[in-house]
Amino acid sequence: MTEPGKGDAVQDEYPTSDPNAVLLPQPTAWPLVLALGISLIMAGMVTNVAVGILGLLLSVAGSFGWFFQVLPHEAHESVPVTGEEIRSVSTRTLMEREHRHPESATPRKILPVETFRITTGIRGGIAGGIAMIVPATIFSLLKYHSIWYAMNLLAAGGFVSWAGASDTFLSQFHLQGLLAGLLIHGLTSLLVGLLYGAMLPMFPRYPIVTAGFMAPLLFTGILYSALGIVSPILNQRIDWFWFIMSQIAFGLVCGFVVNLQTRVRTPQFQALPFAVRAGLHSDQDERTHQTPTNTDEKGISK
Amino acid sequence: MATHAPVTDSVVNSAPRRLVLEVLHDWVTTVDHKKIGLMYIGYALIFLVIAGFEALLMRVQLSIPNNHFVSPQVFNQLFTMHGTTMVFFVGMPVLFGFGNYLIPLMIGARDMAFPRLNAFSFWIASFGGLLLYFSYLGGSGLYGAGSAPDVGWFAYAPLTAHVFSPGHSTDYWTLAILLSGIGSIGTALNIVTTIICMRCPGMKLNRMPLLVWLYLVMSCLVFVTVSPLTAAQIMLMLDRYLGSHFFDTQAGGSAVLWMHFFWIFGHPEVYVLILPSFAFANEIIPVYSRKAIFGYPAMVAASVGIGFISLSVWAHHMFTVGMGAGANTFFTLATMIISVPTGIKIFNWLATLWGGKIHFTASMMFAVGFLFQFLIAGLTGIMLSVAPFDWQLSASYFVVAHFHYVLVGAILFILFAAFYYWYPKMTGRLLSEKLGKWHFWIFLIGFHLTFDFMHIPGLEGMPRRIYTYEADRGWMMWNMIVSSGAIFQTIGTLLFVYNMVWSFIKGPIAGPDPWDAWTLEWSTTSPPPHYNFAIIPTVESRRPLWDLKHPDDPDSHYE
Repeated sequence: MTEPGKGDAVQDEYPTSDPNAVLLPQPTAWPLVLALGISLIMAGMVTNVAVGILGLLLSVAGSFGWFFQVLPHEAHESVPVTGEEIRSVSTRTLMEREHRHPESATPRKILPVETFRITTGIRGGIAGGIAMIVPATIFSLLKYHSIWYAMNLLAAGGFVSWAGASDTFLSQFHLQGLLAGLLIHGLTSLLVGLLYGAMLPMFPRYPIVTAGFMAPLLFTGILYSALGIVSPILNQRIDWFWFIMSQIAFGLVCGFVVNLQTRVRTPQFQALPFAVRAGLHSDQDERTHQTPTNTDEKGISK
Repeated sequence: MATHAPVTDSVVNSAPRRLVLEVLHDWVTTVDHKKIGLMYIGYALIFLVIAGFEALLMRVQLSIPNNHFVSPQVFNQLFTMHGTTMVFFVGMPVLFGFGNYLIPLMIGARDMAFPRLNAFSFWIASFGGLLLYFSYLGGSGLYGAGSAPDVGWFAYAPLTAHVFSPGHSTDYWTLAILLSGIGSIGTALNIVTTIICMRCPGMKLNRMPLLVWLYLVMSCLVFVTVSPLTAAQIMLMLDRYLGSHFFDTQAGGSAVLWMHFFWIFGHPEVYVLILPSFAFANEIIPVYSRKAIFGYPAMVAASVGIGFISLSVWAHHMFTVGMGAGANTFFTLATMIISVPTGIKIFNWLATLWGGKIHFTASMMFAVGFLFQFLIAGLTGIMLSVAPFDWQLSASYFVVAHFHYVLVGAILFILFAAFYYWYPKMTGRLLSEKLGKWHFWIFLIGFHLTFDFMHIPGLEGMPRRIYTYEADRGWMMWNMIVSSGAIFQTIGTLLFVYNMVWSFIKGPIAGPDPWDAWTLEWSTTSPPPHYNFAIIPTVESRRPLWDLKHPDDPDSHYE
């Protein structure tokens, strides 16, 4: 917002000869009359025809009155400018923040300076999704002597007719089960991979713990509470130990692949001083402020 | 400063006292967006009290088994009038009222694009409300048949046919909604035009306050959704008056057609109500967190995304009519997908709060309550989006609890937050923070007593709209708790009304910018002058007042 220059006059789309007045639309009752008229026409349908006729008369009068408000020229009134001068000032200043971080090149945090590309999350999701298949397949082989059980169990949530399917049925190869399972697994892996790509830069410390253990355990907790609704058959037959193993496999591989990728500069980077952007000075000062300290007015975050 | 010229006239404090009739004339003939906004809000608050009283009567009726506090006929009228009033004559007017008041101020304009249409829209919508309630007198008083409408707020066919709904009670409902619809479309048209055409210099689309963005999306939704409802009302009138058979199943019509027409309005209507609520949260949460909103572009994209996706979810209200597996799957997925942009919003609000210096004013407390409760409402919404789950619980109190969690837990809470936030701008006086915090805690307790426990009888099979129930159903304790919560909510609301009246007379003077905020409405006096800004402002960032207050570190360097 900019201060007006000296000599700025009152601005309006309808210029007035008085520099200290503003032209505004003239008050009028005709919209009220027209609204009342239309309402009475409606009311006439459920009360009495006389009410409807009165409504019609009011509508005609309201329409004409309104037309003459705007034709041939819109009616205006001149309102004098009488308000006091307002000065917008903040009760807070940037001083405290600047004192707290005197080494900072700018008086505010720049978040984030770098992040991952969207494709990073997709790659991580694909890699994690493939890794997840390994423990799931080991579980199927050890317990049901078939590599298809886990895939069919996942797909069963999408088929009402599979709700009561036997273990033998689920251990056999079914093309539709394979396709449905791949679709569900692929889509979920991609979405979770994207989430990893977006969130891992926010938790730069201990990426293996965050990606490989914390996130899978949290996701398992959420799924544990909701699986009965989402897929009752999966809920009945799931082996939680092996499920957590496959989640951890996903998290470790996805997190590893995501962290391998090169980060790219965000538009926020442009706000850094030229010396930092040109590589003459380190942007380490900025990065140190990315850790969430007690941000306040003085250190406003972007 | 940019928006106000120096005092040039000595009339500021020398205005003579005016007669009541003069004041009344001013308000009746006004085309000023601020006065119209306030009238919308006042009118909605009156209907809020009426519809709230109706809810209280229903809760008294249901608090114990085999109760006959009101008759079955009156009970049917109560839930019909409560639902219709809350949606059409409380929710939409109060949100339009805030929009009317705030949008021109926030975009640096002097008024709405069509001031007279603005007045017309308000008056016709308000006459709609009066016509609806005139049915209590006119329905039987003039024709001797029927009274207030009793067909429920979605008035399914064939209940609305002459055979099942003789007299004029249903006609009053139809006509009232029709009038309200005309007003809604008029106001939506005005909002869209104002936002597109009347922004001050420098206010590009990507610098508009998020509130303005959300009102733009909401108004576009109103165009698309209110039109089918209006068409359906006209078709129903033709059925009832001229013998057409749109919804007459005996003569080849379709009752399901009405359901489609109604819900293609009805579900986006939830978003028409919730988008302005998001808008309030977008303004309130950053100011009290002392941080800029996190992820402005994502918030805009999510809002537009919600607008589009909300148009493809309506038939999740119709899972039990037997639409077939294909339609069920589509509407289940569409309903689930809408949780993605909604989730983006919740994460961004949390990210805005994260690391901020949070000021727990009454307004912020209501905003945090909104965040928490909207999340829960969304989660039960996802549960209901699963067709088999919905088959079990459709038309049960679980559904009633879910949508009241949205309407009260989210929308009403953030509305209260909006009142505490913008009341100083509208009246020039601050609401009492102490009373506000009492209001918050009492209302919060009442809300959770009522709507948390309302889920349980729903899960136990209690159908919605049931007049009374047998003692052996096991619902009594839950209903007693639910009804006792309504008493807390009533006390909280009365406290709020008292606070508004008391503060209007004796509240501390607010000044132009009591919250140290960043959008343009805070750059002018409280209340703003008739012309809003003596000098049209020029903006260079999304937070023009931040730039003005901190010229050494303006936002424009970072956007």
